Amino acid sequence: MAEPTNRPIPKAPGFLASSLRVFDLSVSEMLWSRRTIFMALVVGAPVLISLVLRLLDALGAPVFRVNGMMMAGPAIFGLMIWVFYLRFTVPVLGVFYGTSLIADEVEDKTITYLFTRPIPKGAVLVGKYLAYLACTFFVVLPSVVIVYLCIVPMRGSLGASFLDLLKDLTLLAIGLAVYGAVFAFIGARFKRPLLVGLIFIFGWEQAALAFPGYLKKFTVAYYLQAMVPHAMPNDNVISLIQGIFRESPGLVESLIWLAVILAVFLWGAAVSVERKEYVLEQ
Amino acid sequence: MTKKTRYFMGGSAAVLVAGLGTGLVAFYGAGFPSLSASRSGPSELSYVPAESAVVAFANVREVMDSQLRQRLKLVLPQEQGQQEFKEHTGIDIERDIDYIVAAATRIPAANGSAEPSGLVIARGQFNTKMLEDLAVQHGGVIEEYKGKKLIKSTGVPRDAELDASGAGTVVRRRHEPIALAFLEFGLVGIGSEAAIKSAIDAQLTAHSITSNNEMMELIADIDMGNNAWAVGRFDAIASQAKLPPEIASKLPAIKTFAAMTHIDGGITGTLRAETRDNQSADNLRQVVQGLMALGRMTNDPKATALMNSLQLSGSGKTVALSFAVPSEVLDMIPQQIKKDGGHLHELPKQLHER
Repeated sequence: MAEPTNRPIPKAPGFLASSLRVFDLSVSEMLWSRRTIFMALVVGAPVLISLVLRLLDALGAPVFRVNGMMMAGPAIFGLMIWVFYLRFTVPVLGVFYGTSLIADEVEDKTITYLFTRPIPKGAVLVGKYLAYLACTFFVVLPSVVIVYLCIVPMRGSLGASFLDLLKDLTLLAIGLAVYGAVFAFIGARFKRPLLVGLIFIFGWEQAALAFPGYLKKFTVAYYLQAMVPHAMPNDNVISLIQGIFRESPGLVESLIWLAVILAVFLWGAAVSVERKEYVLEQ
Repeated sequence: MTKKTRYFMGGSAAVLVAGLGTGLVAFYGAGFPSLSASRSGPSELSYVPAESAVVAFANVREVMDSQLRQRLKLVLPQEQGQQEFKEHTGIDIERDIDYIVAAATRIPAANGSAEPSGLVIARGQFNTKMLEDLAVQHGGVIEEYKGKKLIKSTGVPRDAELDASGAGTVVRRRHEPIALAFLEFGLVGIGSEAAIKSAIDAQLTAHSITSNNEMMELIADIDMGNNAWAVGRFDAIASQAKLPPEIASKLPAIKTFAAMTHIDGGITGTLRAETRDNQSADNLRQVVQGLMALGRMTNDPKATALMNSLQLSGSGKTVALSFAVPSEVLDMIPQQIKKDGGHLHELPKQLHER
């Protein structure tokens, strides 16, 4: 009879290695989920609009005449960055993806499979957060570049707006990262994360920015909007009021606070996942 | 990661790289601006023509919100002119203007020469309709230039004839009509028509001051931490001033200059000059030191205190003169006025009587 072999128990991977393992596992799952259809619609709309505008402009239609004034491509690009990306795409994708990082696993009752692995629970969240970043960066940023290539050359110069494009891409990436961290925390902590997240972006952030005082310092948008290289549009009453009470913190201050928000909320989310006991409904 | 995901990410990265590459080529194709330098200063510098001799910036909002300004508001009488300006244009200088960029530039003329011209670009909240109506009421004409709306004044004064040298050589100076342009949302440009058109061209062709490495390096040096600054090429100003050769030859050999100030509770500032060589810098330092010594010789303690706050520094080709007026000193001004029982608006009259 063969003697039983004393196979040594393999060492559990570290936090980073575990996170990367979860990232590798989650990225495809996240990218090809039903949520991506929503993301494609959100991100595809500005691309489609810019293509149509380009076509109409080529046909000679006066689509860029506002109050008798012909708008230049860079100004329209700036407007699109504000309206489509900064105010809508970035926070909305942050909410939909960020809150679902853990919630989806709980809903599908698959979180047990991840938690029974010999990896830190916090690494599961961090790995999924990295997958969220990869998914959103690889979808949102190329669409911004396509909009830039379509819109800016109309009565504008690609070269002159190049630095603005770099700033836009950087701040959108920062925005996705920070909102993702905030909503990952909300997803890990609250029972109805999507609702809380939507209240946060469309309720709290909008209201806080419209009032004078220090409340706006407790929003992500306050620091993010301070870095936008384009003029803020006054396209509705809320924007107009926000424009009146708008204060812009400095670049360094904004970056520091955004980094602090990201680190604190991501850490908070990881700690919440470590400590929380998820009870799966039968 | 599945193969499909890898392909998708590869495709996305390719779009990103292609777009950024195109932008980069266009960026460098427009005059090879220095990347590090171009990042400095406000983005409105892209409207300042590359050949501008002087560029200045003032953060109006910061100055208006400064403690110094708040203190002055307490003692200064109600500013009637500012109120009238607001009523006419809808622009509240206290709140609506964020910052301004100004430039002294040269506009190429038809005869091959270049005329000096000024340009002011203001970022803020403007009531476009009100400004347009006001301009039209005063005989302004609205036209379009490369997609931007221009309001031109029609009351053009006759060209002036100046005897600059005093030797009977008459210099004919053209008076260009003043124009106001809505460059972007919340951005207006004011200056001669030619200067405004040149600003629009500079932005569209990316041939702006951001492609002038010498000026952008100066701006990069002083942009941080100052709420008002000006930089310029001294040689260009001296040549534009059409000074008589006797005076021009006596001017110090300064190549560039920079003036910067930070206004908050007090005022701090620095004037810096870059000379052509070390010898010129030494000479300039000696001249400034002599003037400072002369200033200290006065019996006026206030003047002596002010002279003591000046600090001369710099090495090699650089000469720098710094000053600092702390808030404590500025606090004394209103107290002095109250103590004298006088009002600030009486000061001009008193000065006039002296």
